[in-house]
Amino acid sequence: MGSLAEFCPFCNTADFRTHVDASCRYSEEFTNIYYDCMDKKRRNLMRLYLDKATLVWNGNAVSGQAALGDFFESLPSSEFSIQTLDCQPVHEQATQGQTTLLVVTAGQVKFDGQKQRYFNQNFLLTAQASPTSDQPVWKIASDCFRFQDWSS
Amino acid sequence: MSTADDSRYNDHDDRVGGQKVRNRKGRGPFRAPMYSDQGPRPRHRGSQRGGGGPGPRARFDDEDGDVAMADSNSQDGSSQHRFNPYGRPNRRGDDRFDRGRRGGGGGGHRGRGNNKGGDGGGGGRKNWFKMSVPYGKKYDKDWLITALQNICSMPFTPVHYHVEGNRAEFFIDDSTTANALFKVSRKITDKEGYKVTVLMNPCPPPSFLQSELKPADLEHLKQCMAKRFDGSQQALDLNNIRIDPDLVSQNIDVTLNRKNSMRAVIKIIEENIPELVCLNLSNNKLFRLDDLSELVNKVPNLKTLNLSHNELKTERELDRIKGLKLVELWLERNPLCDYFKDQASYISEVRERFPRLLKLDGQDLPPPIVFDVEVTPAALPPCKPSYFCSEEIKTPIVGFLQQYYSVYDSGDRQPLLDAYHDGATFSLSMPFTMQNPSRCSLGDYHKDSRNLKKLKDPTTRFRLLKHTRLNVVAFLSELPKTQHDTASLIVDVNTFTNTLLSFTVTGVFKEVEGKSRDSVRAFCRVFVTVPAGGTSLCIVNDELFVRNATTEEIRRAFVAPAPTPSSSPVPTLSAPQQEMLSAFSLKSGMNLEWSQKCLQDNEWDFNRAGQVFTDLKAHGKIPDVAFIK
Repeated sequence: MGSLAEFCPFCNTADFRTHVDASCRYSEEFTNIYYDCMDKKRRNLMRLYLDKATLVWNGNAVSGQAALGDFFESLPSSEFSIQTLDCQPVHEQATQGQTTLLVVTAGQVKFDGQKQRYFNQNFLLTAQASPTSDQPVWKIASDCFRFQDWSS
Repeated sequence: MSTADDSRYNDHDDRVGGQKVRNRKGRGPFRAPMYSDQGPRPRHRGSQRGGGGPGPRARFDDEDGDVAMADSNSQDGSSQHRFNPYGRPNRRGDDRFDRGRRGGGGGGHRGRGNNKGGDGGGGGRKNWFKMSVPYGKKYDKDWLITALQNICSMPFTPVHYHVEGNRAEFFIDDSTTANALFKVSRKITDKEGYKVTVLMNPCPPPSFLQSELKPADLEHLKQCMAKRFDGSQQALDLNNIRIDPDLVSQNIDVTLNRKNSMRAVIKIIEENIPELVCLNLSNNKLFRLDDLSELVNKVPNLKTLNLSHNELKTERELDRIKGLKLVELWLERNPLCDYFKDQASYISEVRERFPRLLKLDGQDLPPPIVFDVEVTPAALPPCKPSYFCSEEIKTPIVGFLQQYYSVYDSGDRQPLLDAYHDGATFSLSMPFTMQNPSRCSLGDYHKDSRNLKKLKDPTTRFRLLKHTRLNVVAFLSELPKTQHDTASLIVDVNTFTNTLLSFTVTGVFKEVEGKSRDSVRAFCRVFVTVPAGGTSLCIVNDELFVRNATTEEIRRAFVAPAPTPSSSPVPTLSAPQQEMLSAFSLKSGMNLEWSQKCLQDNEWDFNRAGQVFTDLKAHGKIPDVAFIK
């Protein structure tokens, strides 16, 4: 992913259009990585989250990397199929300048032992400086997931 | 026309068209046919090919298809039906025929992929030809057809006349007519002095014939299947469903070896009885199991499957469904059964796909020895309704939503300008559908739907993101008028900081005017907001996902009276209505207000309202406040 400077509208003259274009590309890349991790490298999934991230999963709230790690381990194996993807850059006023993306997905998932179900999910991704690299990394600040038929 | 030579070939070569190949004196199948030396041929069993075109592989494919469809479209007379698979005795008599075909069918098996458009020979015993008229684009259709008809020795009906490039094309469904048309090529001169050429090419049945079942038919099919479903055994019997009187009497054609029919059936199973355990698909002329592969995901509990009395030619078909954890399988009376040299290899091949199988063709098998690696999959955490995080957050959100939707549903969305930040953004998305948008009931939303999975052009992606509150509200004002079921909204608070409060709202709404009036939609909407003084919220990002509501969602929608007073006058109740209301209130225990709403929503049908009430109560869907008198 490119450097923060090229992306942040504060730091240079990147206009709104460029911002939007970049968001689309990032959201596509993110969704590929996230769901691949969810399906095939579940143990690594929690690393995509900020330490203080929150997940609301069908009304169940999970917070913090440790709890997230346990939560994802407890879920059966999955096969996700993403059919819809949309994203928006989040307005600076809400994030105090911290570059943030809203990513919205929808599709179907088959958890082992369950039949296939439709779901909606959305994420707030935020760009963070990384201790291990020059380049900033995206981290999930919040994650909201619900089955379409959660009440049945 | 038989000679001594021919009769020898008759004896040993049962391949369809075997004789024809010989008559063509060593011409290979792929060599371009010389149309000039064709004439109308006497019809023999099997497919009559007008030209060398596709070659023997497709010929076998079509043969497979034709055989499978032998009983359909019997309008063209039963003289063509040389075999009746229902009630036919042991097929071993046809061994030779099968083997001959299987020899070529090995290739045909691969070739089948190519001919999938044929899909079982949708036209039954019809042989399709595409007639094309080079440069026919310039002709008026009526002029051309009339001119051809005038000199063609046979009457013809052009099917799906259309223009392709410079050509005019149409389909003809039998070889005699096609040949007759071909014969008039270059016999007509057009107004400009050019001769009108007519070419013919054999082709698979045109795909537009594979029409889907209409909703009314699907409903009948569902009823028919319901009758064939045994709830105590979780078993569904679809044996020979094509001739079910309920379907026949309604002229509904459900032929399970056709993709559309099988898909429709599986969809009905998926939506109504996904816990199905036993399924009987015998006597349906199934010759492949591709379309059954959906069962693996959609009907995971299936343990018993009956595929007997079908047309499966190779055990490899079972690969398509080997994800099923079958315990009992019926395969007898399929051609594939004849190809095993002994029972042991038959069992072995079947078990390779279904290691847990205990019974095959009614016979017990020795139980398999398994490895104890299978772990019962973990259960999912229970699903809960709204997550507000805390009362302090809940109050402003609830207040915000009440206000927002009361304006949104009011008919004039302009006041929403106050709810949005100057730099706000909005976008809309929908589930991906293969359907033509003009046929899709969500057509109003389709042109503005922003699905980055499908939309790749950056300019379009940018255009579909509405930016600035003026643009956002202008766009929202153009969306269909709605009435949201605000009492049933579910809210999940994603995250909050000093400067950001983000939450996801899911629920249903009704469209209240226009051609989609009364359609119920379900939505999932993410709001990212910033504080706006006091407990007010100001929207900076708004993303709306809309889909059609499911039957279940529609059933449960709009039970509670809307919290905001409606602008329409409260109707005065007639005396019988008053009486019904008191009786209903007494019986249900609900107060008058809620009882009245329930009755009104069910058109003052006491029994129906009672049923709806009982169902909802059983599911815990009626809030306590309904019972407070």
